[in-house]
Amino acid sequence: MLDPYIPLVLMFALAFGFAVFSVAIAPLVGPRRYNKAKLDAYECGIEPSPPPVTGGGRMPVAYYLTAMMFILFDIEMVFLFPYAVSADSLGMWGVAAVVLFVVSFGLADIYLWRRGGLDWN
Amino acid sequence: MTLLLALILVPLVGAVVVGLLRGTDRAAKLTALAFSLAELVIAAAAWGGYDPAGPRMQLTSSVEWIPAFGIELSFGVDGIALVMIAVIALLMPLVLGFSWGERLPRGRTHGGFFSLLLVEQALTVAVFAATDVFVFYVLFEIMLIPMYFLIGGYGGPRRRYAAVKFFLYSFLGGLIMLASALGAYAYAVEVTGQGTFDWATLTRVLGQAPTSVQVWIFLGFFLAFAIKAPLVPFHTWLPDATEQAPIGVVVIVVGVLDKVGTFGFLRYSLPLTPEASQLLAPLVLVLAVIGVLYGSLQAYGQTDLKRFLAYVSIAHFGFMALGIFAFSTQAMVGAASYMVNHSIATGMLVLVVGLIIARGGSTRIADYGGMSGVTPLLGGMLLVAGLSTLSLPGTNSFVSEFLVLIGSFPTRPVYTILATVGMILAAVYVLWLYQRVMQGPVSGDALVGAAKGPGATADPNTLSRPGGRHAVIGDLGPRELGVLAPLVVLVIGLGIYPEPMLDVITPSVEATMSEVGVTDPVAPQGGN
Amino acid sequence: MGPVQAGAVVLAQQPVEPPPIEYAAIAPVLLMLTAACVGVIVEAFLPRHQRWSVQVGLSLLTLVVAGVALGAYARGAGTGLTTLAGTIAVDTPTLFLWGTLLALGFASILLIADRSVEQGGAFVAESDASSGSSGLGASSGLSASSGPARGATADSSAPSPTMTRATAGVSGMRTEVFPLAMFSLSGMMVFCAANDLLTMFIALEVLSLPLYLLCGLAKRRRLLSQEAAVKYFLLGAFASAFFLYGLALLYGYSGSVKLAAISEATAGSDRSDTLLFAGIGLLVVGLLFKASVGPFHAWTPDVYHGAPTAVTGFMAACTKVAAFGAILRVLQVALEASSWEWHYVLWTVAVLSMLIGVVLGLTQTDIKRMIAYSSIAHAGFLLVGAIALTDRGLSGTLFYLLAYGFTTVAVFGVISLVRTSEGEATHLSGWAGLAKRSPLVAAVFTFLLLALAGIPMTSGFMGKFYVFSAAVTDGMVPLVVIALVASAAAAFFYLRVIVLMYFNEPAADGPTVSVPGAFTTAAITLGVVVTLLLGVLPTLAWNWANVGGFVS
Repeated sequence: MLDPYIPLVLMFALAFGFAVFSVAIAPLVGPRRYNKAKLDAYECGIEPSPPPVTGGGRMPVAYYLTAMMFILFDIEMVFLFPYAVSADSLGMWGVAAVVLFVVSFGLADIYLWRRGGLDWN
Repeated sequence: MTLLLALILVPLVGAVVVGLLRGTDRAAKLTALAFSLAELVIAAAAWGGYDPAGPRMQLTSSVEWIPAFGIELSFGVDGIALVMIAVIALLMPLVLGFSWGERLPRGRTHGGFFSLLLVEQALTVAVFAATDVFVFYVLFEIMLIPMYFLIGGYGGPRRRYAAVKFFLYSFLGGLIMLASALGAYAYAVEVTGQGTFDWATLTRVLGQAPTSVQVWIFLGFFLAFAIKAPLVPFHTWLPDATEQAPIGVVVIVVGVLDKVGTFGFLRYSLPLTPEASQLLAPLVLVLAVIGVLYGSLQAYGQTDLKRFLAYVSIAHFGFMALGIFAFSTQAMVGAASYMVNHSIATGMLVLVVGLIIARGGSTRIADYGGMSGVTPLLGGMLLVAGLSTLSLPGTNSFVSEFLVLIGSFPTRPVYTILATVGMILAAVYVLWLYQRVMQGPVSGDALVGAAKGPGATADPNTLSRPGGRHAVIGDLGPRELGVLAPLVVLVIGLGIYPEPMLDVITPSVEATMSEVGVTDPVAPQGGN
Repeated sequence: MGPVQAGAVVLAQQPVEPPPIEYAAIAPVLLMLTAACVGVIVEAFLPRHQRWSVQVGLSLLTLVVAGVALGAYARGAGTGLTTLAGTIAVDTPTLFLWGTLLALGFASILLIADRSVEQGGAFVAESDASSGSSGLGASSGLSASSGPARGATADSSAPSPTMTRATAGVSGMRTEVFPLAMFSLSGMMVFCAANDLLTMFIALEVLSLPLYLLCGLAKRRRLLSQEAAVKYFLLGAFASAFFLYGLALLYGYSGSVKLAAISEATAGSDRSDTLLFAGIGLLVVGLLFKASVGPFHAWTPDVYHGAPTAVTGFMAACTKVAAFGAILRVLQVALEASSWEWHYVLWTVAVLSMLIGVVLGLTQTDIKRMIAYSSIAHAGFLLVGAIALTDRGLSGTLFYLLAYGFTTVAVFGVISLVRTSEGEATHLSGWAGLAKRSPLVAAVFTFLLLALAGIPMTSGFMGKFYVFSAAVTDGMVPLVVIALVASAAAAFFYLRVIVLMYFNEPAADGPTVSVPGAFTTAAITLGVVVTLLLGVLPTLAWNWANVGGFVS
C-alpha cells in the first residue's frame, strides 16, 4: 500500500542527512579564519541592511530589480517542473501551452534587457 | 401632431431660438414674446376644441418609450389640466412683458432669462399634460432645473441658498414619489402580470388594492405634492424662493409651478389611491386648515413684500387642499377653479408688488407709504389685485372660495368653519398692506430717498407731476398697463361670469369623484 | 483517495485530452492580451519618439477590433457557453460587460493618451524618474538605471526637475501606461467572465497590479500619486488575501472552486455552515473592496485623489464594471441558494455604502475626492440592484454600470481640463465662476453632475430607475426608500458644484480651462453623448442588457 512513498521517504532522509553532514563536517575539516564579514549576519551575500531607525542606508534600486528577476525565473521553473513531469501525457497541446508560457515570460525579460534592467550601473 | 404636443414644443423651439440669439438682447426679447403669444393662440384653439362632454382625456397622443416597463410618452388633457395650461399660456406673455426692462444681475442677459422661462413653460405644460405616471415624474423633476437656474442665476442676494433649498425640497419629494410610483408598478406586475405606468390602467388596478398598499403609495405621492403645493409644514422653501427670485419668476412659481401640487392631488392622489385618500383625508385637512390660518397670520406679520406674497399663497393653497379633500363635487370644482383664479389674482398681486418694488428699490414694507398719492393708477391696481386676493364678491376668487366653503361645509363642517376665519384674516392682511403702502402721507425711505436723497421729507406734488416728464416716481407706463390690463379684465370677468371655466372643469371633477367612488352627500344646489 | 494516489505516483501516463476552446467566444480577450504583449515589445525596441503614436494606435485599434470581434460573435451567440474547461463563461451578461469594458477602455485610453492638456501628457516623462522630486521617485521603475539602450538620447535623459517641466513636451510620457492599461483591461474582462474562483483570483491580480503602477505615475504632485499607489497596493493586497482565504474556505466547504459546484453544495445541507459563512464573508469582502463599496472604501478617496486624473477615470469606470460583474456572477451563480444567509448583510452594506458616500461626500472640498465619495454612494445603489436576485436586477445593474461608467470617464475628462499653472485645480474653490470663463465646459460638467445625481433624462436616472424598480419588485421597498433619500442628499453636493460654477464670481487668479486636445474632446463627447442617449432612449441598451442570465 505504502510502496510508492518509500522512495520519497528515502529522498527526504538523504537530503536531511546531507544537510546535517555538511554542517557537521565543515568546522572539522575547514580552516578557521574569521573576519568582520564572516561574523556578520548572512543576508544574501551583500552588506546587511543597517537598522532602519539609526541607519538611513538605502539599497541600490538595481539590487531589487535583480532580486525580482531571480524570483521570476524561480517561479518560471516552478511552473515548468510539473509540466516536465507530465510532458508525455500532455502531448503537443502541452508543448504549445508551455511555449506560450515561456514566450510571454520571455517578453518581460526582453523588455527588461532592452530598457537596461540588467545593467548594474 | 395634436395641439397639445404643439403646446409643449412651441415654447421649447422658442427657447432654443431665443438662446441662439445671443447677439442682440432686443431681438431675443421680441422673439420670446412672439413665441409666447403663439403659445397663447394655440392654447385658445385647444380650449375651443375641447369638448366638456367628451371623453375623460382629450387631445391624446402616445408614443412607445420604454416598452420593457410599459412606459409610453402619452399626453392628454382633461378639463382641469386644460385650464391650467391655458393659465400658463396666459401668464407667460405677461411675465415676459413685465420682465422686459428688469435689471438683471451682472453678466446676465434677457435672452438667457427668457429662454429659461420658455423652457419652464414647455415643461410645466407637459407636466399637466402627462398621462403616464413615469413621464409625469420625469417632467416633475426636470422642470426643477430651469427653475433652479432662474432663481439661482437671476435672483436676489441670497439666491444660491434659495435655489438649492428649492431644488432639494422638490427633488426629495419627487424621489419619494418615485418610490410610490415604483410600488404601484410592482403592484400592477403582481396583480396583472404586466407592469405599466399608464395612468388609466394604474387607476383601475390600484383602485382595488388593499388599503394598506394604497396608504403607502398615497403617502409617497402626497409628500411630493405637499412640498410642491406647499402645505404647512413642507412650505419653508417657498418664502425663501419668492424672496430671492425675480418677480417674473415668482409669478411662475406661485402661479404655475405650485399648482402642480394641487393638480397632483386631483389627478394622481385621489384616483390612484381612493381608499387611502379618504382614510387619510383628515390628515390633509388638518394641514390645509393650519396652512390657511398660519399663512394668513404670517402674511399679516410680514415686513417684507416678497415674503408676504409667499404666505398669501400658502394660505390659499390651504383652501385648495380643503376643497379637494372635502370630497364633494362643489368643493372640488371650487378647488380646481381656485387653482386658476389664484394664478390670476395672486399673479396680478405679485406683478403689482413687483412694480412697487421697481419704483422704491426696496422690498421692505416699511420703506413705503402714501404711494397712491403719487401713483394713483398703481394704487388702483394694488386694490384690484388685493380685493381679488381677499375674495371680494364680484372678483374671480370669490366664486372659487365660496364654492369650496359651501361644498365642504356639509362633509367637513369643523374644518370649513376654521377655514372661514382665514377669509376674514385675508381681508385684514390685504387691506393692512394696502393701507401701509398706499394710504397716508408719502413716507418711507425708499420713496422719499428715491426722490430727494435719504432723510428728506417729501411733498407728493414734487414726487410726481402728473403728465410731466420729470416725474421721479412715475405712475404706470403703457407697457405696465398692458401687462396688468388683461388680468384686471379676467379678475372682474371671471368674477361675474365664471361659467365658461366651470363648464370645462366640472365634468372632469365629476369623473374624478366617480373614480374615488364617493357621491355627494347632498345634492348640489340648483341654479348653480 | 484513489485518484489522488494515482496522481501522486505520476505513473499513470494516459494522454490528457486538451479541453476544447471556443476561440471565437474568447477572441476579444485574446486580442487584448496579445496587444498588451505587443505593447511591451514596442516599448523594448522602438525608439522613444515613435512609441507614443504606435502605442496609442495599437491600443485604440485593438479595442476597436476586439469590439468588432465581440459584436460578430454576439450576433450569433446563443444563451452562452463555458469554455477553457469551464473556467470562462461567455454568456450574455459577459458579452454585455465586455462590450462595456471595451467601450469604456476606449474612452479611457483616449484620456490617457492626451498630450495637449498637460504638455506631454499627465504621466511621468521617461527621464523624470531618475531625477524624481522625492526619494520615492526611484520606485517608479526600470529607467532608474540608465543603460546603453538610452544612450542615443543620453543628453536629454537626465535633466533637472525644473528643466523637466520645460522640456516635458519633448521628452514625452512614459508610454508603458498603454500596455499596463491593456493588461488591466484584459484582467477585468476575464474577471467578470470567470466561472471559477481560482480564475477569478488570477484575473483579479492581473487587473490590479497594473492599476497599482498606473496610480503612481502622475507627473505633477508626485508624492501624492506615489502615496496613492502604495496605499492602493497595500490595501489591495489585503483584499486579495481576503478573497483568497474565502476561496480556500469555500473550497473546503464544497470541494470545488467552480461556481456551479459551490452552488450545488450550498443547496445540500449536510455540510459545515461555518466554512460556508466564513468563506462567503471573506470572498465578498475581497470583491466589495475592489468595487469600493463602503465600508470597504477607505482607499477610494486617497487613490482617486492621488492618481493621474485619466487613470482615476479609467479606474473608477472600468474597475467598477469588472468588480460588479464578478459580484453579480458570484451572487447569482454560486450563492443564490444561500441567499437567505447573506442577503441582509449585503442589504446593510448597501445602506452603509450609501450613507458613507453621501455624508462624507458632503464635506469634501476637493472635486476628485468628492467624486470618489460619490462613487462609493453609487456602489451602494449598484449593490441594491445586485442583491435583487432577479433577471431585472441583473440587467438593471448591468445598465447602471454602463451608464455610470461613461458619465464617470467624462467627468474626469472635464476635471483634467481645469488647471492652474501648478497642474489641475481640483480644489473646489478653483471652480468658482467657471461658467463665466468657459460656459461650454461648465454646461457639460453640469449635465454630467446632474446625471450622477440621477436627474431624469440622463442615463444616471434610468440606471437608478431600473435598479430600484427591480429591488421594489423583489420586495426591498425600505431599502429603495433609503436609497432614494440618499440620492436626494447626494444631489446636494453635486448642486454645490453647480452653484459654484454658475452663481459665484470667479476668483481673480483662478484656474483656466485648457482647450482640450482631440483625444480628450473625443472622450468627453463620447461620455456626454452616451449619458444623454441612455437617458432619453434607454431601450436599446436595455434590450441588450436584458437578454439573458448567467450560465455556469
